[in-house]
Amino acid sequence: MVRALVMDREDNVATLIDAGKAGDRCHLKGPGGGEVILRADIPYGHKIAIKPIAEGGTVMKHGQDIGVTNASIGVGEHAHVHNVESRRGRGDKHKLQSAQARKS
Amino acid sequence: MTETFLGYERPDGQMGIRNWVGVLSVMDNVNPIAAAICQNVAGTLLIKTLFVRGQYGRDLEITYNTLAGMGRNPNLASILVVGLEETSTSQVADRIRNCGKPVDVLLVQNEAGSIAAMAEGIRKAAALAVAASSERRKPVPVSALCIGVECGGSDTTSGLAANPCIGRVSDRIVEGGGKVVISETSEFLGAEHLFAERAIDETVRKAFLDRVDRMEKEALMRGVDIRGTNPVADNIRGGLTTIEEKSLGATAKAGTTPLVGVLDYGEAAVIPGMHFMATPAPAVESMTGLAAGGCQLILFSTGVGNMIGNMVSPTIKITANANTARRQADNIDVEVTSVLESDRTIEEAGDELFRFVLDVASGTLTRSEVLDMRETAVSRFEPTI
Repeated sequence: MVRALVMDREDNVATLIDAGKAGDRCHLKGPGGGEVILRADIPYGHKIAIKPIAEGGTVMKHGQDIGVTNASIGVGEHAHVHNVESRRGRGDKHKLQSAQARKS
Repeated sequence: MTETFLGYERPDGQMGIRNWVGVLSVMDNVNPIAAAICQNVAGTLLIKTLFVRGQYGRDLEITYNTLAGMGRNPNLASILVVGLEETSTSQVADRIRNCGKPVDVLLVQNEAGSIAAMAEGIRKAAALAVAASSERRKPVPVSALCIGVECGGSDTTSGLAANPCIGRVSDRIVEGGGKVVISETSEFLGAEHLFAERAIDETVRKAFLDRVDRMEKEALMRGVDIRGTNPVADNIRGGLTTIEEKSLGATAKAGTTPLVGVLDYGEAAVIPGMHFMATPAPAVESMTGLAAGGCQLILFSTGVGNMIGNMVSPTIKITANANTARRQADNIDVEVTSVLESDRTIEEAGDELFRFVLDVASGTLTRSEVLDMRETAVSRFEPTI
């Protein structure tokens, strides 16, 4: 069984401390505990959802907001750059907003 | 019980953990001369720099202060300042002299070519090295330590285990009356609200938040997502998804004590306690600022691997990533993989790291010193003309 760490009760993701394969059982260490089934092959150190996260939902780790999803993420699925965005340092969005402000 | 280490006392009362003769180049065009001097004189430490010619205003002032700050670092017994010409060279040499250590100067334009300049530099450095060798270590309390805390090549293991272990050391240094400096402004994005709460007063809180805010505004002006630069590709491969996640892990290095001061790039921490220094995130630039600010030692966590250390401030490499601890063992001083692998507590692993810090402060060599994986880069804040 592979292992993943949960840092805080509020968290909806956990970090794998073993590389895992789709279908592997994953033991959750930390607050809440429990077990999930991996829905994809996931590398060492990467995160999985441990609660369902809706599109546009907040991703929580260390009991804090670490970003926003751009697609829904099911339990045991990989949560990473393909489905989680940062809210900070988004010069790309800033540029878009500035351009829209100039037009209006 | 007061914890102690064996240090070298300097004329200004600061304690060095090494006893090098610094050969400090104050302009890129004399780096080859400075390097040749170091190759020929035992006990010297080469501190190169890029640019300086063509810098002006605030940017030049920060550069002069940073070069001089490295010269004043107590790990150097004395300094040979190598410059092209008198004006720029004396700007740096004069800012070092006020700490009372021996300073000599080599002006390359005044010599009959590079061969003569090297010979004269070797003669000067040899005299400084002989004099420095009569310095002796003596026991001094932990309160004499100023340490920098840094991370590079981070992955998720950095924030889960390695940085919290560094945080434990930070707490013990501060509790012992010493100073700790955390840097890398962009690695507070998403965690700044938690760190700001620790400020001792409103002035410090505002100064800290202002630095983070200014940095983010500058980043937004560029019109691109900072992801890809921070977190960078290898951080992302290591599982870090956003800057918020990276920041929450990175700030664990600062432990739990109050934030007492906010420093400019390369500025020295004066009062005991936890300080923040506004620096760019890349390790070589950031550590150059820390060394210029008087840090005698740097604790550096890595996840996917980054072997670089600072020239002036011996750099202890720490990892919690079991793969990196195994594959890059040559470059790792302390591995704390047991925190993740076998549930060892952060306190226990951090206390072991603290004991190693005192050993290194007393003379035990780090991997980056032994293998000479060391570099200097003074940050640039404005363009050259």
